[in-house]
Amino acid sequence: MTSTTVVRLLLAIPGLAAIGFGIQQFVVRTHPDVSDARELALWLGGAVVLHDGLLVPTVLLLGLLISRAGRLRPILRGSLLTGGCLTLIALPLLLRPGRPANPTVLPRDYWVSWSVILAATVAVTVAVAWVTRRCRSRRPRPAGR
Amino acid sequence: MDLPALLPRFRGRLHDPRTATVVGRLLGVAVLVCFVTGVVSHYLQEPPAWLSAHLPTRPVSGYRVTQGLHVISGTAAVPLLLVKLWTVYPRLFAWPPVRSVTHALERLSIAVLVAATLLELFMGLLNTVQWYVWPFSFRQVHWALAWVIIGSLLLHLAVKAPVVLANWRRRPTELREQDIEDEIDRRSLLLGLGTAVGAVTLFTAGQSVTPLKDLALLAPRDPDAGLQGLPVNRTARAAGITEEAVRAWRLHVEGPKPYDLTLDELRAMPQHRVELPIACVEGWSKSAHWEGVRIKDLLARAGLPDGARLRIVSLQRRGGYGVTEMDRPYTRDDLTLLALRLNGEILTPDHGFPARVIAPNRPGVLQTKWVTRLEVLA
Repeated sequence: MTSTTVVRLLLAIPGLAAIGFGIQQFVVRTHPDVSDARELALWLGGAVVLHDGLLVPTVLLLGLLISRAGRLRPILRGSLLTGGCLTLIALPLLLRPGRPANPTVLPRDYWVSWSVILAATVAVTVAVAWVTRRCRSRRPRPAGR
Repeated sequence: MDLPALLPRFRGRLHDPRTATVVGRLLGVAVLVCFVTGVVSHYLQEPPAWLSAHLPTRPVSGYRVTQGLHVISGTAAVPLLLVKLWTVYPRLFAWPPVRSVTHALERLSIAVLVAATLLELFMGLLNTVQWYVWPFSFRQVHWALAWVIIGSLLLHLAVKAPVVLANWRRRPTELREQDIEDEIDRRSLLLGLGTAVGAVTLFTAGQSVTPLKDLALLAPRDPDAGLQGLPVNRTARAAGITEEAVRAWRLHVEGPKPYDLTLDELRAMPQHRVELPIACVEGWSKSAHWEGVRIKDLLARAGLPDGARLRIVSLQRRGGYGVTEMDRPYTRDDLTLLALRLNGEILTPDHGFPARVIAPNRPGVLQTKWVTRLEVLA
């Protein structure tokens, strides 16, 4: 056996055991009928469909839109990635229906929080773009490039 | 074989094994931290019989740290997972879709890994805002999926080991000009990813990391919100605590010499002060000053000088955890109190008046409020 094969076996065997344990735990800890299994399969599939069918195509489209931004592209990409992720984790706070259990659960106005944070993201993006541009214009590129 | 015309084509150069390996490594760390801290939380909350008598009560803030890390690493995994999946997205359209039985199994294992991880993070995030939209039990499914994820991750690493090893063994001399340009682009992507991870952490971690509390703008909890400087999960009203029940309250302690105490009698016993955190399974935590009677002293008075395995019964009539169990490591610990006061004041109803449990290194749901009986278990 080559060393790669040994490594692969050492990963695969406990991996299969853990998957088996997870399935066993699901079976013994949820409803004995098939309704939970069917629902879970539906939710797992739904997560993939939403991610692969909606989120990633949107991201790819945005990537295509900023691909002509030249030197600004890396900054724009980082900015969209940061703002997008902040928005994703803010969504449960913003969209949760009904009143929270008590005033210490979700105590803030999260629309204000989210707006402030996005505004800060835009401000930082502009500042970084401006600084990068100034640095570039002051320091001439080395000859021959 | 020619690609069918309808399949998308990807020109971006960072959908490559090197980017997948680099981002995967970071995601792997986050997943591992999240998994280990999750397992710790599970066993502290629901210890099997063989473990229950050996749970550690130190460090006192252990659960605060592990559960804080659990939610922090899970939140940080969101940008990492999305970038990782973006990197490998073109492989979804590999043609032909299935080359062999092994290839089919590999794709199936990846489907399981991706689906389970996406759903796990989604469920975890929604649980922190107490929003339950799925028809199954959060706790049981979150626990089972965690094992499926860690297992299929190991399987995925076994399948990809040659690719990862090839990436590690690649020598710099093999780099071409295009590779150098890619490397610069990759670094800028990683810088963006680092910023995203840093930002989501910075604006949420303050619910458990006190120095960052003023930045916790996107955290479901503010450690400073709440009466007596402490947030609450279940209020007295939600627990169905009535005024009559509190007025008629007595503490009943079982043992060889069982007894009942009024609140005044309880206050007349030696009082002890401890500083211990409330650390919630949802990730928020806060340290507080507690004052009350040691559980150890209450049990000694009942003729149990060496502690006992306890069933703790609350006045609570609605919601879970009205009856909890506490094993010897906690019941004989000097820091485990039946607390009567919080941060210098008598407990408010929502914090468990007349008396509540506070113990070191213990999940918040087990710090039972409105305690009225201590029953001894065999």
